[in-house]
Amino acid sequence: MEAYLNRSIKKVIKEFPPVEKILDEYAIGCGPCAVGLCLLKDIVSIHNLPADQEQEMMGRIASVIHPGREIQIPRTERKAEAQPRELKYSPPMKKLVDEHVLIKKWLALIPGILPTLNLESGGDRQLIREGVDFIRSYADKFHHAKEEDILFKYFDENLDLVKVMCEEHKTARNHVKAIGEALERKDRGTVVRRLNAYRELLSQHIKREDEIMLPWMDKQLSVSQVGEVFSRFLEVEERMDSCQQKYGDFISRVEKKYKRKED
Amino acid sequence: MTQFTGCPGSKMVDFREKDVSPRGEATGKIQSQLRQWPIQLHLISPAATYYQGADVLLTADCVGYALGGFHPDFLKGKSIAIACPKLDEGQDIYQEKIKSWIDDAKINTLTVLIMQVPCCMGLLNLAQQAAREAKRKVPVKYVVVGIQGEIQKEEWA
Repeated sequence: MEAYLNRSIKKVIKEFPPVEKILDEYAIGCGPCAVGLCLLKDIVSIHNLPADQEQEMMGRIASVIHPGREIQIPRTERKAEAQPRELKYSPPMKKLVDEHVLIKKWLALIPGILPTLNLESGGDRQLIREGVDFIRSYADKFHHAKEEDILFKYFDENLDLVKVMCEEHKTARNHVKAIGEALERKDRGTVVRRLNAYRELLSQHIKREDEIMLPWMDKQLSVSQVGEVFSRFLEVEERMDSCQQKYGDFISRVEKKYKRKED
Repeated sequence: MTQFTGCPGSKMVDFREKDVSPRGEATGKIQSQLRQWPIQLHLISPAATYYQGADVLLTADCVGYALGGFHPDFLKGKSIAIACPKLDEGQDIYQEKIKSWIDDAKINTLTVLIMQVPCCMGLLNLAQQAAREAKRKVPVKYVVVGIQGEIQKEEWA
């Protein structure tokens, strides 16, 4: 069967005329094509039928080519990515949205952490210290720096949208600074209050970025500018190579710990 | 008339009666935005200077004829190569050239312009495969053009 998949459709149909009718039934009308150079496997792949229909059709073709034999149907390479689909973001914007996912995971953990937070415990102090480090290094130095130092530079700094986003980054930094200082004083009340405020601020901030700002910016940038932004983001990622792995591991570790507590 | 059951890429369609209103006609001569030669993907060298760091268009042959605003709307400021995923041979060479654009010429972006017919999707598949195999990553966009020249889809791949 493999050999026939790599044969031009005209040759397959010439040798096995019923194949034309089978293709026809799946709206693959190769019969009248004057060229017929496409390989059977490419035709199957390009038309991208639903998997069950493709299997059924290939089974019927196999039974024509090898009547009475049980044939293993080789899987054609399905190229789902090539199918037109709804895509909201350009590749650099998608990177930012994906980074938001990790930040949102941290925000989602905060309500579970705070009720039993005991700053007399070394373990809890370490957790908040690591959380602050995650916010400063991943959310701020890595992620917000991409936004402020690269993406926003393509827009007028006096634009309200940009100004608001930068202002919220500043407020977030103030919360984080206050959390760090309160942690040293073992001031539980301030840590809890500021972490909650940070969570509320960032949840709304990310939602606005994902749903309004990034799609809008995407529409304003030219193809060439999208390429530039993408390439400059890659430079940041190379420079801070270990960042994503390190903080991804941190979030997974905390998620496991608090999931166990819930169970 | 019986329903056409052949390959959609070869289906005969006559739209001579299509309304070509004055607003759809260009006034004066349209400046060509082509800034290189050759353009056929078998003939070009990915190492050519005009591909270095460029925004590159990979265009199915038919697109240039179907898309009225091809030069001002898409070709302007970009380097180009054309190919036919249905009829051209040696498409493994195409894939290597696209990879070389990404890895060696360090192109900025790749935009694949294809027709709406199913066989044209092969050109996008080829480009995406090459992009996946390349060491560098670049944004890849694709534009699907209808047989009457309308933009049916324009998205990042």
